[in-house]
Amino acid sequence: MVSKDKPPKKLPLEGIRILDFTVVWAGPFATQLLAEWGAEVIRVESTKFFPSTTRGTLARPSKELVQQGGIGGYPDKDPGHRPWNRAALFNVHARNKLSMTVDLTNPEGQEIFADLVSKSDGLIENNAIATMERAGVSWEKLSKINPEFVLVRMPAFGISGPYKSYRTFGSHMESLVGHYSLFGYQGETPEASGTSLFADPASGVAGALAFMSGLRHRRNTGKGIQIETATAENFANQLGPHILNYSMEEDVPEYIGNRHPVYAPQGVYPCKGEDRWISITITDDLEWQKLSSLIGSGELSKKDDYNNVQKRRMHHDVIDEEISKWTINHDSIELMNILQNNGIPAGAVMNEKDAFEDPHLQQRNYWEELTHPEAGTYKYPGVLWKSNAIDNKLRRAAPRLGEDNEYVYKTILGYSNEQYEAYEKNGHIGMDYDDSIQ
Amino acid sequence: MFNLPMSGVNVLDLTSNAAGPYCTRLLADYGASVIKVEIPNSGDPARKVPPFFDDGESGEGSSLFMFLNTGKQSLTLDLKDNRGLEVMKKLIINADILVENFRPGVMESLSLDYESVSQLNNSIVYTSISNFGQTGPHRDWKGSDLVLYGMGGPMINTGHPDKEPLQLANYLPSFHVGATAAAATSIALWGAEATGEGDWLDINFFETLMGHIDRRSTALLNHQYDGTISTRPPVAGTPGSGIWPTADGGYFFTTVLANRFPAMAKMIGAEHLLEDPLWATPAARAAPERVDEFSAIVILWMLEHTKSEIRDEVEKVGVYGGPINNIGELLQDKHFEERNFFQQIKHPVSGSLTYPGYNFRMTVGDQQEDISDRRPAPLLGENTDEILSNQLGMDQSIIESLRKAKVV
Repeated sequence: MVSKDKPPKKLPLEGIRILDFTVVWAGPFATQLLAEWGAEVIRVESTKFFPSTTRGTLARPSKELVQQGGIGGYPDKDPGHRPWNRAALFNVHARNKLSMTVDLTNPEGQEIFADLVSKSDGLIENNAIATMERAGVSWEKLSKINPEFVLVRMPAFGISGPYKSYRTFGSHMESLVGHYSLFGYQGETPEASGTSLFADPASGVAGALAFMSGLRHRRNTGKGIQIETATAENFANQLGPHILNYSMEEDVPEYIGNRHPVYAPQGVYPCKGEDRWISITITDDLEWQKLSSLIGSGELSKKDDYNNVQKRRMHHDVIDEEISKWTINHDSIELMNILQNNGIPAGAVMNEKDAFEDPHLQQRNYWEELTHPEAGTYKYPGVLWKSNAIDNKLRRAAPRLGEDNEYVYKTILGYSNEQYEAYEKNGHIGMDYDDSIQ
Repeated sequence: MFNLPMSGVNVLDLTSNAAGPYCTRLLADYGASVIKVEIPNSGDPARKVPPFFDDGESGEGSSLFMFLNTGKQSLTLDLKDNRGLEVMKKLIINADILVENFRPGVMESLSLDYESVSQLNNSIVYTSISNFGQTGPHRDWKGSDLVLYGMGGPMINTGHPDKEPLQLANYLPSFHVGATAAAATSIALWGAEATGEGDWLDINFFETLMGHIDRRSTALLNHQYDGTISTRPPVAGTPGSGIWPTADGGYFFTTVLANRFPAMAKMIGAEHLLEDPLWATPAARAAPERVDEFSAIVILWMLEHTKSEIRDEVEKVGVYGGPINNIGELLQDKHFEERNFFQQIKHPVSGSLTYPGYNFRMTVGDQQEDISDRRPAPLLGENTDEILSNQLGMDQSIIESLRKAKVV
């Protein structure tokens, strides 16, 4: 990219304040992307309620449970004094975000929340409908407090319709909208093919785009808006070609494993070592000639049998077997380099170690180090896309629960020290979950 | 008419195949005017990707292409010809956004690299989508959805523990990267409109999928935290989690949350387990043999119920799970029907087909206006004359000469 000697530019979303009511993955990914580009994202949390699968699976898992590997994701497999500040599940996406606490179950908490709404640009949430009703989050209410508010709701199935109260994880929405009928090993059942969690990140990206659309709507009309990003609908959109196909053929396709609908061969082949694999996609005859000459003698040297894609599709099983006999003797990373240097689309199926060792990501400064006061110093996947104008870096590690209470209550909301102390005494402000929460 | 957030935004779409077109389709969905620039006579290669509504020869009947290009206009233009390049430069002056997904270096060879384009239009947001990015040792490597999902995404965690890693439904990695590019472009446009200065975005599959919140990013930090190298987890890893056959298909449950097991036990009439010390506590249920023992109990109940009965029951008791449906079942689903999710879009070649609805809805709550259904994907070059004469004010005789020279 082009380098320029200019003073650092502002991030595009500087000055936009977002209240973050998100849990698990889908919502947090939306606010992660917006925070990366400058939005002030404030997680609105409570010391009296532990949202499961967000700041860890349990608030206070025992050290034994963590060490058994039952519940992963703490530095040195130690949940520590405040496990909710040490969970990888949370710390990976909450970088750049702030955390405040307030108890929304009483009128005083609702007053604080109303003040926050009047001083913010919008709110993003992905909870069950009933949870948001209890928290006092509704368009009727928020738009009265702040008519220019942008409310992005990301419920599983939407805020209306027969399934509006149906609680699921993203993976269940995927099975309901048909994804599990579209991936699987040839001749196998869904039970034998594993699960997918793709709907969550897909929804997160859509939520970020929805929020930007809301900001534009506000700028164009002077009015706020409620936008609904139902995870299941967004994911059903991504199955679009399959929906059109069914509409044309009324045909339920069979599982194709790792094969390609057009190209052949394509597959995931075993390499030397445990759980080591390489993916290969041959997209034209020239790539095939190169691959078969690299493999050398054997069945594949009968060149005429496989010299076009129709023949290769017909003999895909035999070809897969021959490729596997060859790949099993190679290291997956070495083989990836050999194949790519010969112009063949191929990639190691990378585990975590491969990813951190990859020279391309290192050279592009993909990994960024952050220091978290209770978790330590580690490398994180960096900003997801690069800008020519701004050398955008991660700004801070994930917030500890309630870490930014002083800033939010005193600086943003302008409450006095006395009020702050009163709110602390009344259970709004704190950095520890109630002792009753396990 | 509802004021769409992207209305008035001009997009030059130099993308093809799947990822780039998904990005520009999202921009078109929310009101942008998208000109899809295609190679004369052949067009976007996705036009030739099966299955087709017709025999495939027309280049108009591909379901992939029809899905990805609704709401766009098609302009054919030979960018390797100087006259074609001149037309392109005029369009650039009026554009707010340019999206391209050529191999890195191709735009430069066409004199359409960011430096050249920003000299014509300093406020343009120029979005490049590629396999590995515009710099770095893998810059020129080839990719496919499978290859890139395997390198960047959580494919090592996808599939059965005893088998090879498994890809997901076709095109998902491409669409995810395309959607990410749309969000990125929208964020950059917000900045460009405020400052008058554009930007060049470098978005790629490898890094986008590496930061994927679907297990991958958590697993990467987890590896830093405790050294764990992850693999494919069993579908049934804890009692009450798994996919079981029902009277009419299958149902997928996850009761990883410690407090969901009792609800599930009650749902299937196995409350007695909760009194049994082998089952009563989360620690007792963590014993590996509980998984198969519970499967043997739950399967009998599953086989006596339909997916729809189970779904209603699951909602009532608060267990996390979903039916294993196919696309035909999705199209019949009462929820999607009641929310009018699907659209029937009439295309001149394919006729009327069912398309999925919008990714998000901007007309909810007290706003009753509806965003109308999408326009069908354009035929190759369908809007060439209109764009050249109306937008660029070119004479019909000049357009004809360009057509004769196969520039358009």
